[in-house]
Amino acid sequence: MLIQVVNLQKTYRMGPVQVHALKGVSFQIEAGEFVAIIGPSGSGKSTLMHILGCLDQPSAGRYLLEGQDVSTVFDDQLAEIRNKKIGFVFQQFNLLPKATILQNVCVPLIYGGIRGRRRQLKLAEQALQQVGLGDRLHHRPNEISGGQKQRVAIARALINNPSLILADEPTGNLDTKTGREIMNIFRQLNKEGHTIIMVTHDQEIAGQARRVIQIRDGLVQKDEVIA
Amino acid sequence: MIWEILRMAVDSLTVNKLRSFLSMLGIIIGVGAVIAIVSVGSGARMQVTNEISQLGSNLITISPGIRRGRGGRISITAADVFTMELAEQLQQNCPSVERIMPNVQTSGLLIAGGNNYQTQVIGVTPIYQQIYNFYPARGQFITDEHEVNATNVMVLGSGLAKELFPDTDPLGQTVKLFVRNRHLLFVVVGVMEEKGTGAWGNIENQAFIPASVLMKKINNRKYVSGYTAQAVSAAAAKAAVGEIEYFLTRYLGDPEKFRVFSQEQLLETISQVTGTLSLMLGGIAGISLLVGGIGIMNIMLVSVTERTREIGIRKALGAKRRHILAQFIIEALAMSGFGGLLGIGLGWLGAAGVAKLGGWPLVVTHSSVLVAFSFSLLVGLFFGIYPARKASRLDPVIALSYE
Ligand SMILES: Nc1ncnc2c1ncn2[C@@H]1O[C@H](COP(=O)(O)OP(=O)(O)O)[C@@H](O)[C@H]1O
Ligand SMILES: [Mg+2]
Repeated sequence: MLIQVVNLQKTYRMGPVQVHALKGVSFQIEAGEFVAIIGPSGSGKSTLMHILGCLDQPSAGRYLLEGQDVSTVFDDQLAEIRNKKIGFVFQQFNLLPKATILQNVCVPLIYGGIRGRRRQLKLAEQALQQVGLGDRLHHRPNEISGGQKQRVAIARALINNPSLILADEPTGNLDTKTGREIMNIFRQLNKEGHTIIMVTHDQEIAGQARRVIQIRDGLVQKDEVIA
Repeated sequence: MIWEILRMAVDSLTVNKLRSFLSMLGIIIGVGAVIAIVSVGSGARMQVTNEISQLGSNLITISPGIRRGRGGRISITAADVFTMELAEQLQQNCPSVERIMPNVQTSGLLIAGGNNYQTQVIGVTPIYQQIYNFYPARGQFITDEHEVNATNVMVLGSGLAKELFPDTDPLGQTVKLFVRNRHLLFVVVGVMEEKGTGAWGNIENQAFIPASVLMKKINNRKYVSGYTAQAVSAAAAKAAVGEIEYFLTRYLGDPEKFRVFSQEQLLETISQVTGTLSLMLGGIAGISLLVGGIGIMNIMLVSVTERTREIGIRKALGAKRRHILAQFIIEALAMSGFGGLLGIGLGWLGAAGVAKLGGWPLVVTHSSVLVAFSFSLLVGLFFGIYPARKASRLDPVIALSYE
């Protein structure tokens, strides 16, 4: 089992007010699944993704990633888990604006302790070729389109061979046609064996996943496998 | 890894060159000041020390005491106590004193043919030559006979000789001295050797006449303004000062009436003064470095805020605290180090300019360059740590959602 979350809760404190973003979420995800998480805005989808991605910690409950309880792990160890086991794809792309796309894809290799600049660049170049950007290596993010940016982000997410790819509304900033292209890449990756969890509020896009978890008010409302 | 971080630091500094430069300004000025001050200080001291030791470190000056005048004003009492006879008595009673000479001088206008020149006229005895190690190049100096008979003879400094006699041989010529509405005629008997410009005016343009002539025929006073004594050796200078003080206190009955000091004491005083000055200016330089450090901290804090999102991205991709810490500290170090290098260049230029004006050698020691540079790095490290720590402790989720 890749992921097991048990009664996951997250409470934000804003002065005297407490916001219960997650109120007790439980599910399991096997390696190789393609899961879409849907739900209205403010229902806690991003909060859940942050915890699944080890960017944040639950207030209560347990999170086991590949059998390891990461709800009790802190800071630098979490950074290491993010680097080795998780690949992020964000709605806002989140590329480093001053670096070339090749350098951007190198970043996880640098923090992962992959030695040798040449080896890093070679791996990054291969990853970019896989997403069809082999001829844009030295462009900067502001010189390429949104769809291309998201491909760079996917190449970057894949570079360290993570066990899990997390995508929070990856098509949210793209037009429908480009969004479909990006979805094709994700489907292809899933076919190749990658585990993908994707947040979306687009029913059509959710329909391309093999399992849909619906969240409402910080709770799992529906969890169904689609044919 | 370290190279990547270094390159990143340089990249981020070159993105906003003007801002980086302005942030470095404090360091540049501070380091520049340190280099310039140390260099100018040691150059000037070297110059003064050279001149004094050329004169001989066994010289002793005896001058009137300083009296507090009315209202706390300081006035030099022209103590009418220093006579030629007293000089002889000092000579006899102070075994460590080799020679002693009265100090008596005036200034007047010298005229020879169509040329004239306003200058210092020094009353001397023959021992002036040995005391100051200064001899005539041509002709002769003032002799004992001239002194005893108060003969109107004159020896010219080499520069003065050229001023008064540009085309003719000055030896045997007549020079007219105008002083206090009177004039006297002198025969030139010698021209001094060239010694170059000294610390105390241009001795090349002075005229020398017998002390007796100056006292009897010009000043009409039997008192001189002081004495210059020479100890038997440099080692005996201290003993000579003691003997002179002891004798004069008994003879004049009042230790406030005179002052005695050796060249060595003068040297000490000078190095004390320059030391204090260096310390003061060094303090200013230190404050400037501090301000420079605060400038760097300020810009680093701005940079951390501006790059919050970048920090969030890096953390999401697996950067640990120490990676972010190193990135920002190296950026601060690059800024302060580069500022330090610019400052060293600036200080060097400044010191070279001042040395040229002051006519002393340019002294920039390796140690002062090294100290200034390491100090600027230290300032960068010290003031870079806080912003870097702040960056490394950012929460990744909050940093990622920063607009
Ligand atoms: N850092 C935070 N501080 C306080 N409240 C937060 C914070 N992040 C999210 N929330 C709140 O938690 C709830 C869930 O937010 P989020 O997970 O972003 O929802 P979604 O991604 O489904 O739109 C919302 O009510 C939101 O306002
Ligand atoms: Mg969201």
